[in-house]
Amino acid sequence: MLLILSIAQLLYVILLAPLVAGVIAKMEEIFESKMGPSILQPYFDLVKLFRKESLVPTVASPFFRIAPYITFAFYLFLSLVLPIITAFPLTFGPIVDFIGGGLVFGAAATIKKLAALDSRNNYSHLGTSRAASVGALSEPIMLLIFIILGVISQTNNPYVINNILQTSTAWYSSLIHWFVTIAFLMVLIVETGKLPIESHSIGELGMIDQSMEMEYSGRELALYKWGTYIKHFLLMNVFMNVLAVPFFVPMTPSIQGVIIYAFVNFIKILALAFFFALLNETVSKYRLFKIFDYVAITFVFAFLAALVFFTTIPGKGF
Amino acid sequence: MANLNEIFILVGFIQIALVAFMQWQVYISSVIKTFSFSSLFLAIFLLVAGYVNREPYLIVLGFLTASVRAWFIPVLLSRMLRRDRWRARELEPTVGIASSIISSLLFAVLGYVIYTWTMYDYVQSTSGAVPVALFLQGAFLIMSRGNSITQLIGYLVMENALYLFGSLFPELPFVVEAGVVLDVIGTIMISGVIVRLREDKIENTEEDFTELRG
Amino acid sequence: MNWIYYMPAGLSAIGGLLCLIPKTSFEKDISIVVSFMTLGASIIVAFMPDVYSSGLYVDGFSKIMQIMISAVYVLTVIFSISYLDHIQNKLFQTNLYFLLLNLFVVSMFFTVVVDNIGLLWVGVEATTVTSALLITTDNNELAVEATWRYIVIVSAGLTISLLATIFIYGGAHTLSLKTLLHTHQTTKIVSVGALLGIIGYGTKGGIFPMHTWLPDAHGRAPAPISAMFSAVLLAVALYAVARLIEIVPIEGVRNFAVVLGSLSVIVASMMTFSQKYYKRMFAYSSIENMGVALIGIALGGNAFIGSMVIILTHSFAKSAAFFLTGNILAGYRTSVIKEVKGISRIMPLTGYSLFFSALAVTGAPPFGTFFGEILIMTKLINVYGPGIAILIASFLVVAFIGINYRVVYMAFSQPSGESKNLDDNAAIPIVGLVIAFSIIFTTPLIYYLLRGVVAR
Repeated sequence: MLLILSIAQLLYVILLAPLVAGVIAKMEEIFESKMGPSILQPYFDLVKLFRKESLVPTVASPFFRIAPYITFAFYLFLSLVLPIITAFPLTFGPIVDFIGGGLVFGAAATIKKLAALDSRNNYSHLGTSRAASVGALSEPIMLLIFIILGVISQTNNPYVINNILQTSTAWYSSLIHWFVTIAFLMVLIVETGKLPIESHSIGELGMIDQSMEMEYSGRELALYKWGTYIKHFLLMNVFMNVLAVPFFVPMTPSIQGVIIYAFVNFIKILALAFFFALLNETVSKYRLFKIFDYVAITFVFAFLAALVFFTTIPGKGF
Repeated sequence: MANLNEIFILVGFIQIALVAFMQWQVYISSVIKTFSFSSLFLAIFLLVAGYVNREPYLIVLGFLTASVRAWFIPVLLSRMLRRDRWRARELEPTVGIASSIISSLLFAVLGYVIYTWTMYDYVQSTSGAVPVALFLQGAFLIMSRGNSITQLIGYLVMENALYLFGSLFPELPFVVEAGVVLDVIGTIMISGVIVRLREDKIENTEEDFTELRG
Repeated sequence: MNWIYYMPAGLSAIGGLLCLIPKTSFEKDISIVVSFMTLGASIIVAFMPDVYSSGLYVDGFSKIMQIMISAVYVLTVIFSISYLDHIQNKLFQTNLYFLLLNLFVVSMFFTVVVDNIGLLWVGVEATTVTSALLITTDNNELAVEATWRYIVIVSAGLTISLLATIFIYGGAHTLSLKTLLHTHQTTKIVSVGALLGIIGYGTKGGIFPMHTWLPDAHGRAPAPISAMFSAVLLAVALYAVARLIEIVPIEGVRNFAVVLGSLSVIVASMMTFSQKYYKRMFAYSSIENMGVALIGIALGGNAFIGSMVIILTHSFAKSAAFFLTGNILAGYRTSVIKEVKGISRIMPLTGYSLFFSALAVTGAPPFGTFFGEILIMTKLINVYGPGIAILIASFLVVAFIGINYRVVYMAFSQPSGESKNLDDNAAIPIVGLVIAFSIIFTTPLIYYLLRGVVAR
């Protein structure tokens, strides 16, 4: 039964990720009193891209062609090991824990950057250097968050963390948990490229993620875009299911509970999408050098969570 | 009702996070507002502690803190600010904003480490480390900024940390605390005069500051 | 009869408030009267028995401090009356100046007699508040900047000593000096409190590394205020440090204080070689003297007597020196050493007095500073061996050369340029110098008064 649930979770992620992106785009346009594109627009874009011919720059190496497949594979793998619609580990769950998951995210990002460098395009290099500088700060913070989450449950298993936060109000309302949640929300904004970090315009002033995919076309571009949607969806799910609102996720294996929860999960994600749309419409973009100050504040929160832990848990001092 | 110790830690850590925020701010008026907010938090904690411990002295102190530190002094500081409207923005601090945020955090950690090394005779648990960390952060705020009002706020953050620390000993004599508050008010008022003079002097530009070095 | 002990503080408070009456020159008369009365009260108090109750803690140490404060107060008030006419561009009127001066003295008197170390802190902080505006009596940009540095650095330092006070309270559960001195305090948290208190009150007293405000403030303040600062304010700060060291007589605290004092001496002596402004030079000499005094206080015993002799001599001699620099500034209109030449030709009384006061503050015999330093060096050799004593002595010689070279240049070179002869204002400094010289003869009295304190 776990295998069936794993495949179900994989399909759930693959099919619903573009929908979330479409919903966010439509909500933003509605806030601006416009009609906006249909929420199925990302699907149409993907289908269109799959039918197009893919062109490759002459100076690129074979790595340029296979990078999108590798990153897509990484994201598919991650959708099997994170708590999306279940709070009990599925068939492939024990392969990586939280930190391993964080490292796999990092690996996918690195491959994308290397492939972008391969194309020798100026804009790609620009995007890569910006992404690398911001990533150099935000990736360690994500790992720090995962490590501190580990002290809650004495393990690094995201499922166990979810179970503990669901059942114990002491841990849920503790300062450690909330500092980590705030820090992860700030990192989420950085990783999913929402304002105030990155605006989804194509202007050179702000683009970080779009410029890395500039040289791709056709099927590879479709896989990159789809992979990005899946990455955003996975991170939002981790935030909701493990940190912010870990309730209602079924802890015991039952097909019925999982199906019901699949709908509840989508509603939770829609709530987060609403929050992001609101954020995108209210704040303006930071100038690039101020991103580092923002990341420093994130680091402060994550580190303070560790300090709270040393202060409140007796016997763990120096 | 949660344990008083937990509330103390909550208030303390929120203060530490707010001081890190202050390092982040660029506009001085928002620094003043953040400081007012954090003093209000401190006053609420004192009120709750007084209510829980049934000590009327702490309740009085809480009201005193709220009125002086969360209202009167920020109003004084904002009035100082309003005279020179173009100076309402802070120039880049000496080490850059991101580094000063991280340094502020490191000072907090240093305070914690120093406290745990010397706390062996102390009755209560490690929660006393929080005010010491806040204290060092206030000192760093003074060191890292050149603007007079931000330096004054750093000094006030240090005094807030001492209040927090003193509330761990509910028997501290009231006279001393009142004296502290009066001294702080006196310092701020005198500083108000000095700050106004310091930033008004545009005519005497022929003197340079080499006399004040070495 | 305990109100007599409060008389010096009370009298100056009344005198200060009376300065607000807007009669012409009333504040000058009232200040002179009040200052003489406080001097009388302090001398009377010195003959009365020690009292340790009703909020007071007055022993021999406090009595000596009170006499010193009131004597310098008298000298400063008399000198200010004529000096204030030489300051152009005053920030506030004369009666506010005297009001602030009197309140400043009130806070210092208050600090040396109270029993509660929390109130001690309040008193020291009050001295900051009242003295800050006095530095900017001469209203220019540099003085304002100096005042700002003074306020920020000293307030931050005093916050550290408030933390120290809280630590001591947490460890000993009392703030009363009498109780703290009678019970042996050895808990770790009280020792940390003492260390922090040395740092905090040392900021006010100009101890390395918190001395950075001192040259600016003392260099830029008007002469009588510089005199008050160097002579009594630093001494009151060291009074607080001495009480803390008395409370916690363990070796770690003593070593710490000796190290800080030595570093102050070394740094200040080296800085005197690169000075271009004569008031800053004298300010560095104050830092050096206070460093030596701190070493003596920390060592205790005969070295403590030596410290008191140094502090007393230094207060009269340094105030005389600063009064004389006031004369020089008013006459020559420059604060640069190189531009001041041949004082002994133009203003002979000032020139020779300057020479002698410089000798006094740098520790030349037969002034008390020399004998005080000998006492301290002897105890230093007894406790730590000859190495560190030779180091300190050599740096004292360095400072001696540095300061006296410049003073001799100023006093005995050929005059060039115009200057007024202000010798009639040199009366007060000469009085101060004579008192400084005679301190050495009062050493037995000092020894008698301090016998309770010097128990180690």
